Amino acid sequence: MSEDTPLPTGLPQATGQAYWRGLDELVDEPGFMATLAERFPALATGPFSGEAGDWRRRDILKCLGGAVALAGLDGCERRPDEEALPAVVADEDGTPGVARFYATAVELDGVAQPLLGKTREGRPVKLEGNPEHPASLGATDAFGQAALLDLYDPDRSAAPLERGTPTTWARAEDALTGLRAALDASGGAGFRLLTGPVGSPTLRRQIAGLLARWPGARWHLLASGRTDHTAGGDLPRLDRAEAVVCLDADPLGPGPWQVWNATRWGQRRRAFQGGAGSASLYVAEPSPTITGVTATRRLAAAPSRIGVLLAALAARVGVAGVATAPLTSPERAWVDAAGDGLAKARGRGLILVGKDQPASAQALAAAIEAHLGNGATRTALPPLDALVPVDAAALLPDMAAGRVRTLLVLGANPAYALPGFAEAAARVATRLHAGLHVDETAQLAHWHLPLAHLLESWSDGRAADGSAVPIQPLVRPWLDARSRHAVLGLLLGDSKDDRTRVRETWPQLSDDAAWEEALLKGRIAGSEPAAVSPRPAAAPAPLSPPSPTDGLSLVVRPDPCVWDGSLAGNPWLQELPKPLTKLTWGNAVHVSPALAREQGLKNGDMVRLTAGDRSVTGPVWILPGQERHTVLVHLGHGRRAGSKVAQGVGFDVHPLLGATGPVRLERADGSATLASTQQHFAMEEDEFVRFVDTLADTLPPEPASSFYPPQKSSPAWGMAIDLDLCIGCNACVVACVAENNVPMVGAEQVAKGREMHWLRVDRYYRGDPDDPVHAFQPVPCMHCEDAPCEMGCPVNATVHSPDGLNLQVYNRCIGTRTCSAYCPYKVRRFNWFDLTSKDPPELRAARNPEVTVRSRGVMEKCTYCIQRISAARITAKKEDRAIAEGEVVTACQAACPTQAIVFGDVSRPDSAVSTRKAGGRDYDLLAEAQTRPRTTYQARIRSGESHGGEEA
Amino acid sequence: MWGRRTAQVFPPAVDTWVRLGTLAAAVVVLGLALGGWDYARSAYVTRVGWVRDQPVPFSHKHHVGDVGLDCRYCHTGVEDSAEAGLPPTHTCMTCHSQLWTGAALLEPVRRSLASGQPIHWQRVSKLPDYVQFNHSIHVARGVGCVECHGRIDQMPLTARAEPFQMKFCLDCHRDPSTRLRPVALVTRMEPLPWSEAERRAYGLRVMAAHRIDPKVLDNCEICHR
Repeated sequence: MSEDTPLPTGLPQATGQAYWRGLDELVDEPGFMATLAERFPALATGPFSGEAGDWRRRDILKCLGGAVALAGLDGCERRPDEEALPAVVADEDGTPGVARFYATAVELDGVAQPLLGKTREGRPVKLEGNPEHPASLGATDAFGQAALLDLYDPDRSAAPLERGTPTTWARAEDALTGLRAALDASGGAGFRLLTGPVGSPTLRRQIAGLLARWPGARWHLLASGRTDHTAGGDLPRLDRAEAVVCLDADPLGPGPWQVWNATRWGQRRRAFQGGAGSASLYVAEPSPTITGVTATRRLAAAPSRIGVLLAALAARVGVAGVATAPLTSPERAWVDAAGDGLAKARGRGLILVGKDQPASAQALAAAIEAHLGNGATRTALPPLDALVPVDAAALLPDMAAGRVRTLLVLGANPAYALPGFAEAAARVATRLHAGLHVDETAQLAHWHLPLAHLLESWSDGRAADGSAVPIQPLVRPWLDARSRHAVLGLLLGDSKDDRTRVRETWPQLSDDAAWEEALLKGRIAGSEPAAVSPRPAAAPAPLSPPSPTDGLSLVVRPDPCVWDGSLAGNPWLQELPKPLTKLTWGNAVHVSPALAREQGLKNGDMVRLTAGDRSVTGPVWILPGQERHTVLVHLGHGRRAGSKVAQGVGFDVHPLLGATGPVRLERADGSATLASTQQHFAMEEDEFVRFVDTLADTLPPEPASSFYPPQKSSPAWGMAIDLDLCIGCNACVVACVAENNVPMVGAEQVAKGREMHWLRVDRYYRGDPDDPVHAFQPVPCMHCEDAPCEMGCPVNATVHSPDGLNLQVYNRCIGTRTCSAYCPYKVRRFNWFDLTSKDPPELRAARNPEVTVRSRGVMEKCTYCIQRISAARITAKKEDRAIAEGEVVTACQAACPTQAIVFGDVSRPDSAVSTRKAGGRDYDLLAEAQTRPRTTYQARIRSGESHGGEEA
Repeated sequence: MWGRRTAQVFPPAVDTWVRLGTLAAAVVVLGLALGGWDYARSAYVTRVGWVRDQPVPFSHKHHVGDVGLDCRYCHTGVEDSAEAGLPPTHTCMTCHSQLWTGAALLEPVRRSLASGQPIHWQRVSKLPDYVQFNHSIHVARGVGCVECHGRIDQMPLTARAEPFQMKFCLDCHRDPSTRLRPVALVTRMEPLPWSEAERRAYGLRVMAAHRIDPKVLDNCEICHR
């Protein structure tokens, strides 16, 4: 479909639609609308090859007959007998069938994400945010949700390897004992430890002990161009900031601070909706990010123009003595708006500058903030301790020069993420690697030691706000793996168990009651670092003159879904459509529509991207809204070893990290099919995402849609999604996958439009392809009161419940797919294949036992988390009361960091969902279909926002 | 064309054969339908009354009927959880560490406790995977164990008492009044000393008190989700 689309030349003839999902739709490429019109584009590329017209009546009858006969035979199979295996000794306080929750955490870049792990019969089945912890407030990001599947990854390393051959821990212990003796003798000379960012206080304490014992040893940090948050720094307080200016910064985007920033942004924006202060966001960025999409005003700006914009902003708000450069008119308009916003919110403004920008830009931003007195909108966090690791870049020359005799890599993958590591490693006499997978580095190592996942070990960590989180195991490890603390302990000859180690780190938890309290709450009281005084505003240094604008600029970012590649083995993240491009399973060279037009490129064309003397080859993806001469690539793909899922997906762009020199883009041979979901399940209408201009505005009232009265019942379930709060972060999508046992289908099937996500986040454009207005819209099932799907089903497999749910009865469904054809919202998903029965036992254990695992030939869709509704109903019935407000929380709602999704009983006028729906911004999606959807949306508040492409 | 005589294609006997064939087909179709109907309800399919080979020939008749153990002594989750739960080996050994300590029949139990490996029972009462059944709400409303599991106190070897098919569930969900009893008596195996009318009157009172609505109870989502 979209891969074959040639580039629009100039703004084409509009198709009559204000909103468009991709460029192919905007130009109405011949055949594209025809493909859309066919509800199941996959049929056109079926096994009978070629055009859909090749399906003759006889072929169809033959297939139909065969299917009916086979379906009959299928029914003859007896259900096999089943064994029941009770425990030997009962769990001390657990009842089988009753879920238990434990506070714990997982880490991303060394920053702990506080979680509650839901366990059934001793195995974790779902992760939720920890509402007791300020760094979560109950919310999670997509990574946190997907960590569950990492735990159950069937490709995890299960035994130590000695030069690639499986061996026992006893032999590994012998080797480490020998190493310890040698290091004691030499004082650690030639020993290097390489890790990722380390936030765990216990691990830092162990590393400090190691460095003290062996003064010749060095600790290196592999951060792959990202900030080491554990070294301290500023914590933005978006909840206090009434005007936020982001220059090449993406605070709401994926990363270890996403939940912190997004929850705070949600608080601020909800306060603004309630009339308390303002919440404006001005973003200038080279490539669209979810922060840019959320912005009141967005500007596409080359990375080299950020300094110029900052200087102009400084001049605008009245900072003295700043040299400014001429601006283009969109830049001028943006600077005026951002400057006025900052000036209006004096003292409550916040300027965030991306870490790729030079120190002079950071200093200028600090000068503006000092001038405006914006001290309250950020907290300065001190470094965790006096330990300072050496950057991994310094390790390679030492290795190449033979100064490294022993290298221990703990939980990092330098052979993938550090170009040149493999060659340099050949000169290291002893190479040890401890990790979750037999990855690229493990293949180079003499010894590979399997690490335990954090969800099965005792540890601790530091959350985004600097407070400490205890990490407790949710399950006993089933692989012969050991924790990171145990591996360092083996080396140091310390055989304590991990729980003791963690407790020793925290003297205030020596009391058992305090320890249990910390485990119960998932936070260690009093561990928040004291805020240090904010950095002094340095005199603004002269900014380096902007580099010539005719060249290309390269932006390398971690992948929004698989991050730095450490999560590339996770199918939930690989198949998660990236927020802006909706690409799954792989990465691309993202170019602007203007650049594609100049070079005659279309989606999927292979190009060679060169920066200085390094180059990579990959397919092109045209990204509307990207700055004209910016090229964006994502790290994290092109893995060569490790989990089977990770290998062979996308291409590796690590060679381009830190490359200097001119950036060139050349056409290479061939093209690739990229699996993007941006045109899948497309709806037909003009105005999917609605806007109101200001807070006081309301949408025009909709005409009464039907003669018939609305359905009445109590409870009556409904959902409200506030598009003004949604930032398109995808946390809800992965939460839904984890809760509802949604299967993954792989790149080939995604390209055919057969992905199974029950909840999709649509991304729309409006206006000029070079600078469009972006909008996100999460679309679950609408649970229509007058549901077209129910009228279509020939076997009554989709019916309505008295409390307003549109039900799908799997055991009745015969797979005619009529319901999907009738559904105007395209929220129904069909199981084209048996995607589940061949799952290995690990993946079966990860499933939610309260949700039916669907089989081939069955339609499925969002159920409003009916299992949670049923659980609440049964609990309430047992207590002879009605279901309380807020008692049912859907998985998507629980995960959402901005609380954009609210679910509840619409028959109660005082419920949160009724309050939302009663507001003037509420609207039905596809109102003209008169389906009376129970899921409704609240319009975005433009508050004077206007973009280059379209004046409001 | 009409002017020419065409040759007779079929001999007259074909009429008879066609009539017989049609009759035979009808008989076969009817037979298959009736047979299938019967087959679907046969004990072969529903497994009612079938006994499985178990590692230990556990007798509910002895433990419930003779000794008088309450169901909840072993099936501890039945009041709080969706699952009644099978007793852990440890529960068996609370008595059998004192009684019948050397019995050969109990060897798998002792081995389980010593080795830490669970006993592999064969499941007797099993619902299809797409049915979500919750024991606790049924017990809380006073549906006796005997209603689904039968006179387990009379079963030397455990067998399924009722066909766990949709009809069986729906019969009760559409008219629960005659299957409800005081919650204190849910584990009682002997029939209640009530007449049919008394039972129904009691059941209707319970349904009114707890707002049990059969119109809601037979909705798909009550069991399938």
